[in-house]
Amino acid sequence: MRRLLPLLLTIAFRLAVWCLLTADLSRLNLWIGLVVALLLPRARSRPLPLGELLRALGRSLLAVPQAYLEALRLMVGREPVEAEISEATTDGAIPLLVFLDVFRITLTPFTIVLGLEDGGRRYRIHALKPGPRHGGLTP
Amino acid sequence: MTLLLWGMVLALLIPIAVACRPSDVWHRLAAFASVATKVALIILVVSAVRGDRMLGLAGVIVLSAGNAGLLLLANLLRGAER
Amino acid sequence: MSLAALADHASLLLLGAGLVFWFWGTWPLLESRSYLSKLHALSVADTLGSALMLLGLLLRIPGQWPLLVLALVALILWNTIFGYVLANCSLASRLPVRREPPP
Repeated sequence: MRRLLPLLLTIAFRLAVWCLLTADLSRLNLWIGLVVALLLPRARSRPLPLGELLRALGRSLLAVPQAYLEALRLMVGREPVEAEISEATTDGAIPLLVFLDVFRITLTPFTIVLGLEDGGRRYRIHALKPGPRHGGLTP
Repeated sequence: MTLLLWGMVLALLIPIAVACRPSDVWHRLAAFASVATKVALIILVVSAVRGDRMLGLAGVIVLSAGNAGLLLLANLLRGAER
Repeated sequence: MSLAALADHASLLLLGAGLVFWFWGTWPLLESRSYLSKLHALSVADTLGSALMLLGLLLRIPGQWPLLVLALVALILWNTIFGYVLANCSLASRLPVRREPPP
């Protein structure tokens, strides 16, 4: 099952894109889409832990409303200061999970991933922090 | 709706001006990415105003393919500068 | 009847909010700030503002939802990853010696 999962995910994703593009759910069109999805070349995949994947997907979806909140804070807030931080990867060995992590971090306006460091175990992140309060708390 | 389109075209002029200005190549690349997204969105809004499905399809294809070309270009530039 | 009018007003509101995001996020390109802070602002404008506009269009022409959903997914994925690639590539070319591991 774990070996079959990447294949099923790829096929399902391609079929969904095909259906959205053609906006047609007739049987013939579904068969054509399935053939196209099977014929397109696939990347070499390795077994995928389903629980981790679902958790990463959920966190990526949660990042969207959070991104809007941060955008509003950036717009009305003070001049932010720049900083550089780093964060541990969930699993650096699986490309799909790394992709989802990079997507989640870069989507929010306060943070952009600059790259992997430490042999792929940590992300290097450029972040904006809300500026100092007018009391004078200088970092 | 017309007012909105005027506003969008005005917003489009900003990255075009930046891209025409002589400056660092990375700033210009970011400006071009901005132009690509904005043009695609303008195409989509125009297709909504005119009720034209084919125009909308063109907008979606520009949106998904235009940035892919820029992405390859960025990778190429990094390889060339190294 | 009133539902259609409500959707119309909501879509105009979303489109206007997207336009505000566009202007706010694109204006820093003209100023002389650091490259990465410009990228932060561009991610507000081009990803989040354009997504708001697409949602507004989705309310206005619900008949075209497959196309618009595809546009929404492509926009958010591509723009986010493009921001990452731009940041990564420009940094690699600008500071080539900084990431050398210490001996």
